[in-house]
Amino acid sequence: KYCSKIKKKSLSVSLCLIKELCQQFPHGITDQVIQNDMPHLEPQQRAMAINKLLSLGQLDLLRNSSGLLYRMKDMQSTSKMKGSDNQEKLVYQIIEDAGNKGIWSRDIRFKSNLPLTEINKILKNLESKKLIKAVKSVAASKKKVYMLYNLQPDRSVTGGAWYSDQDFESEFVEVLNQQCFKFLQSKAEAARDSKQSPMVQRNSSFATSHEVWKYICELGISKVDLSMDDIETILNTLIYDGKVEMTVIAAKEGTVGSVDGQMKLYRGVNPVIQPTGVVRTPCGLCPVFEDCHEGGEISPSNCIYMTEWLDF
Amino acid sequence: MTAQEVRLCGLLLQEHFGEVVAKVGTHLLKSGAQNLRTIIHETGISLDLVKKSLCVLVQHGTCVFSSGRKAPGSPTEYRTSCDRILRILRYPRYIYTAKTLYGDTGELIIEELLQRGDMTMSSTVKTVADRLTQNMEEGRSMDYSEVSSAFSKLVETHFLQRCPPMAGAGTKDSGTPATPATPAIPGTPAAPVSTAPPTPESFPDCYRVPHVTLIGRGKRRLSNEDGEDQRNAKKTKMDSETHGDEGIYWQVNFERFHLHFRDQAIISAVANKLDQTSSEIVRTMLRMSEVTTSPTATCTKPLSANEIFRSLPSSYNIPRPILDQYLTLLVDDPMEFVGKAGESGGGMYVVNLHKALANLARATLESVVQERFGSRSARIFRLLLRKRHLEQKQVEDFAMIPAKEAKDMLYTLLSQNLVQLQEIPKTPDYAPSRTFYLYTVNQLPTARMLLQNCYKTVANLIERRLFESKESKRLLEKSQRIEAILASLQASGAEPEQLTEVEEMITAPEKQQLEALRLHINKLDSAENQVDETIFLLESYVNSTMSVY
Repeated sequence: KYCSKIKKKSLSVSLCLIKELCQQFPHGITDQVIQNDMPHLEPQQRAMAINKLLSLGQLDLLRNSSGLLYRMKDMQSTSKMKGSDNQEKLVYQIIEDAGNKGIWSRDIRFKSNLPLTEINKILKNLESKKLIKAVKSVAASKKKVYMLYNLQPDRSVTGGAWYSDQDFESEFVEVLNQQCFKFLQSKAEAARDSKQSPMVQRNSSFATSHEVWKYICELGISKVDLSMDDIETILNTLIYDGKVEMTVIAAKEGTVGSVDGQMKLYRGVNPVIQPTGVVRTPCGLCPVFEDCHEGGEISPSNCIYMTEWLDF
Repeated sequence: MTAQEVRLCGLLLQEHFGEVVAKVGTHLLKSGAQNLRTIIHETGISLDLVKKSLCVLVQHGTCVFSSGRKAPGSPTEYRTSCDRILRILRYPRYIYTAKTLYGDTGELIIEELLQRGDMTMSSTVKTVADRLTQNMEEGRSMDYSEVSSAFSKLVETHFLQRCPPMAGAGTKDSGTPATPATPAIPGTPAAPVSTAPPTPESFPDCYRVPHVTLIGRGKRRLSNEDGEDQRNAKKTKMDSETHGDEGIYWQVNFERFHLHFRDQAIISAVANKLDQTSSEIVRTMLRMSEVTTSPTATCTKPLSANEIFRSLPSSYNIPRPILDQYLTLLVDDPMEFVGKAGESGGGMYVVNLHKALANLARATLESVVQERFGSRSARIFRLLLRKRHLEQKQVEDFAMIPAKEAKDMLYTLLSQNLVQLQEIPKTPDYAPSRTFYLYTVNQLPTARMLLQNCYKTVANLIERRLFESKESKRLLEKSQRIEAILASLQASGAEPEQLTEVEEMITAPEKQQLEALRLHINKLDSAENQVDETIFLLESYVNSTMSVY
């Protein structure tokens, strides 16, 4: 009896000692460290103490390259979990690990090996306790990912500046598109009217992506903060519209707007040809071109598009 | 020889030469090389008419004959090709170009040669002088020497060339220009059987103007000779004078015109993209390399900046350093019209012909997609041209178009075959969930497809024009009769009341209808020419890629 009392006392003492050690080393301690600090503690007792702390939820068990690590758990989060059972704690742990990208319910099931019904119950519980929240992913609109309540969802989930509430803001993109193009066009025209030597003309018609970004920010048409990368995606769409061309030049590090020693320059360009001849005839734009044959239902002789076009 | 090309060729032959020639021509197109007997048998047309049609086709260079393939001495076979017949569509453009370059004289020379197929220099000169004199004021006439000098200029710049002499034709065609070697006589067995007809350029005298004694002036046709002339117009006039160039026939060198059109297209593209001065520099460069560059070359011979500076037209006196700047800008332009080939002589520059053609073809394709499907589909199309292969999600992200709409547009383009789908499987069974589907655009096959569409478009326009004329045939005949009556009344000195009486025979709504008909036909005609411009660009592009291999 005396032995067990001593054992219990020594257990609580060793618990305190281990906790103190953990607090001293917030990154975690290995078994070796505990052994060095308390050489009189037998391995069995050490193991018991550690298990007790783990089950109380005061220690975290981690694994690194050299072995097992024990780390002090955050007191706050442990208070949150009071009243939850182990399974909930496990699920919460998994969701926390997913960070701000969130995790899908099926992935939670894989990681925790819990049956689906259990998972759903736990998730409902945690949501009601306001510990986690569900965010709809913009990629697949039916998919819901779970993440911690106070975390800001990552861009890949919400779509970034171009999405507001899962809706792609086409008008916003269009407006930005037109504004950027107008800016570049006016710059090119100013360069052309300056009547200087051609090299100077061309160089002054260029605008760096930084300049365009500043212009758009000052215009104040965007309620969301746009980064330079966002502006560059808009400028890329202008390139695909054939209205703008881009070159990359080497820039000194530290120049405003340079990324990795390079700067992107954009300028407005004119189209190379006028709309080509075939599209000025009705046949070039005809939706039933394939079905048109002489002597058929649709033929050049009775074509209504041609009749309209001829009387125009 | 696609179905669309054959249809268009048939329509062109019908318009220019008549039903029978059209039938024989399309039959030859569809069935390849055939001898006379087979043609008669398969088309069911009489020997006489077939012979005449073949004459017409050979005269215009659309049909070639060679001895049979089976054995030397077997009957000659006749072959046509689409290309030459499709050139007929472009005749107005050739004539207009000759007018801008060499004035009315040049225009008439080219027109006569295009109409007759081939002629000797002396007969051309005489006919053109007569026509010019007809349009001049009373008492003035056109001197033969002026027309001859215009003719020589055309030959010097290679717009006209000699017809290659036919093997075995020899003494059969002397004097009269309109009778070609009769096709029924087979070539002499000693002549080598070559699979390809000799090109005009393979003869050393191709561009040598013969020494012709032509002294005289154009004759004005008097009005009482009109009836006689009309009867003799089709018949060959036996010329009693000889001028020293018998047997030397001249034809229009289409390739040279095509090179000219291509240069014009490049110059206007540079003017659109950059500015007027740059296009002048490119024009100078192209002019300097007109005769030194072969038609199928990828780029012109290198020209040094010094030469370019010296050859610039004097109205553009830009200082030398500015010229260097312009050349550098041309080289740096992403369209790559001009390239730098070396540093000697102040910098050696070439014009990249094939690249320029490819860029122009690409711009044509983009413009078609833009007009047909809208600017956002055009954005997707350009995106795929640049980035080659993209997944559905990437297309949406780069083009910044909402997913639903992007999907819709991509599927429309796919159904029109402008965009293709490339499957890349991850597993050996092409399971859809484990395969990548990439969208891509192939420029060359798309250009070919568009070219065929253009042929069909032109054929549609021609058919509509024929239909419109047929509908109003009665009205047209009536108006022609009334005009003839008016003309004869005026000539015989009638009073104004009689004239107005005749004029009123056409009622006002009929006049309106005639006016509308005239407008329609003009519109259709000009539309054909516009589509021909597209056809030219796409054909040049497709041919340029083929000549590389």
